[in-house]
Amino acid sequence: MRNAPDLRRVQEVFWALITAPEGVRPGVEALSRAGGTEATEVEAMFTGDERLPALDRLDVYANMYFFRLLDCLGEDYPKTWALLGHDRFHNLATDYVLACPSRHPSLRHFGARLPEFLETHAQRAAFPYLADLARLEWARVEVFDAADADPLARRDLARLPADRAGEATFTLIPASAVIAVNHAVAGVWRDLDGRAGATPGHEPIAPAAPVARRPGRIRVWRGRDLIHHASMGEEEAHGLEMLRRGENLGRICQQVAAGRSLQKATTRVGRLLQTWIDDGLIASFNLPSS
Amino acid sequence: MVTASRHLLNSPRPDGRPPSLGHGVGLRRDHFDRVLAGPTRIDWFEVISENFMVRGGRPLEVLTRVREKYPIVLHGVSLSIGSNDPLNQDYLADLAALARRFEPAWVSDHLCWAGVGGHYAHDLLPLPYTTEALRHVVARVQQVQERLGRPIALENVSSYVAYRVSEMTEWEFLAEVARRSGCGILLDVNNIHVSAVNHRFDPRVYLDGIPADKVWQFHLAGHSDKGGWLLDTHDHPVIDPVWDLYRDAVRRFGDVSTLIEWDDRIPPFDRLEAESEKARAIAAELRGETADPVGREQSPAAVHGQAAGRVVTA
Repeated sequence: MRNAPDLRRVQEVFWALITAPEGVRPGVEALSRAGGTEATEVEAMFTGDERLPALDRLDVYANMYFFRLLDCLGEDYPKTWALLGHDRFHNLATDYVLACPSRHPSLRHFGARLPEFLETHAQRAAFPYLADLARLEWARVEVFDAADADPLARRDLARLPADRAGEATFTLIPASAVIAVNHAVAGVWRDLDGRAGATPGHEPIAPAAPVARRPGRIRVWRGRDLIHHASMGEEEAHGLEMLRRGENLGRICQQVAAGRSLQKATTRVGRLLQTWIDDGLIASFNLPSS
Repeated sequence: MVTASRHLLNSPRPDGRPPSLGHGVGLRRDHFDRVLAGPTRIDWFEVISENFMVRGGRPLEVLTRVREKYPIVLHGVSLSIGSNDPLNQDYLADLAALARRFEPAWVSDHLCWAGVGGHYAHDLLPLPYTTEALRHVVARVQQVQERLGRPIALENVSSYVAYRVSEMTEWEFLAEVARRSGCGILLDVNNIHVSAVNHRFDPRVYLDGIPADKVWQFHLAGHSDKGGWLLDTHDHPVIDPVWDLYRDAVRRFGDVSTLIEWDDRIPPFDRLEAESEKARAIAAELRGETADPVGREQSPAAVHGQAAGRVVTA
C-alpha cells in the first residue's frame, strides 16, 4: 500500500497540474509519462463529487493561475495588448507564463522579463518593434512606484555660483529611466494612446503609419501625478547619459561641442538642462569642495 | 464628541483580542481620490500589503495620507504560510518595514500556500489538513510573529478542492493553528459560505468550531454562482445567506472589526459605504443599539499596533 503523500508531495503535484501547459488532465498524463506520478495517485490525492470531479476542481485553480497572470500582463502592457489584439496577446502570455513563471511575492514584478522575452519570440516576425514597445511600457511601470524625490526648480539654480557652474554635477530623480530602442515606438505609444477605441480588446489595432527602424533613446520619468516619456536626439541622449554618470557640466559641454565652438555647446547644454529641470528630471546639484 | 466607533476602539477586551476597529472597506485605487476628499462613513481601511511594498509613488503617498486619518490593517496575499518552501525572508523584511512605517492595527494573511519551488501562483491554494501540515504551519506562524514582533491574523480561504489525506476539518485545523501559535483569526464569512457549498458542510458547525477568543476580524464579500458550486470573486454585493451567517458570527464572536471586500467590477465608493453600513446596522441591532452613521475621520493615534496585544489611546 502506498504511503499517504506528505505536504511536499501534495504541493509538487498540485503545482505541476495547475501549471501544466495543456491543462490538468493532460498534466496528469504528462506526470505519468514522466514516471513521477501515476494517475491513480493523483485521483487518490484529491476529492470531488458528481457536481465537480476532482480534476475539474483543479482546473478551477489552473484557470485562475493563468488568467491572473494574463490580467497582470495586460495591465502592465496595455499598448502591446492593443497592438496584438486579444488572441495574439493571450498566446504571448501563455508562452511567457511557461517560460518566465512568477518568482516574486508581488505581481508587480511578473512582467519584468517580457521585453527581453519578446526579443526572441515568434511575434517578432510580424512586429519587429514589439520588444521596444514593451520596453517602453515596462519603463513606465518601473518609474510609477520608484522612490520619491522633490525635483529641482530653475530658481534653485540661483544657488549655483556662475563661476563654478562647470564643476556642478547633477542627480536625476529616482523615478526616471533611459531606455535604448531600435524603432520609433514613442510614436506608436502616442498613436495608440490618442486614438478613440484604441483600448485593449479582441481586435488588433494597427499603428497609423509604418513603424520606422530608428535606433535611439527614450527618457521616461514620473511627474507630479503622471508618467511621461520623450524621445531624445543623439546629443540630448549623450548629454543626459553623461549627467547620469556623474560627469560635471563643463565636461558635458566639452563632449557635446565635439568640434563645434564651446560657446555654442554651452548654450545648447544650458537649454537641455533647463528642459530637464522644467520636466522635473533633476533632483539636485552638487559642487565639489573648493 | 465620542462616536460609537471611538467608544468601541476604547473598549477593553478581557479575552486579549484587539479592540474592534468598527466597519471598514478595502482601500482600492479606484477610490483613492474619493477617500482623500473625505469625509467617509468608514471607520478603517484594509490594504493589500504587497501593493505597498514599493519605494515611492502615488499609492504610498495616498496610504500615508489615509493613515493620518484612519486606522489601517495590512492584509497580505503572498506570505505563503503553508508552503513547503522556506519563508521568503526578503518578503518578511519588506512586510516588517511596511508595518513599522504605517503602524497597522494588525497584520494578516491567509491560511494557505501560494507557491512552491520558488514560484508564486498569486493565488490562495488550500492546504491538506493533516497533523504534518499543522506542525509546519504553526512553526512558521511563530517564525513570522517573531520576525514581525507582533502576532498576526490568518484568514480562512475559499476552496474548490479538498484532499483525501486530510485528517481534520478546516475549522479544526484553523482553530488549532490559532491555539498553538497564538495568532488571531480573520474569519471570512463569505469564504465559509463558499467552501460550505463547494464541500457540503454546515457553515454553522464551522462557526461553532472556532474559538471565540481568537477572532480578530470578519471579512464579507460577494461571490459568483457557477451552477452548483461557488467562486470567490469579490465582484458582487454580499448575498443574503452570507448576511445571515454574519449575524450568527456576530452573535457568537461579538463586536469584531468587519470589512467589506470588493476587488473586481468595483462600484462607486458610496455603494461600498452602503454595504458597510448594512454590516454596521446588523452588528448594532444584535447589540440592541442603533447604528451611528456619522462621518469618520479618526485620529491616527486611535489604534497602535504593539508587539503583543494592542494599546489603545484616545
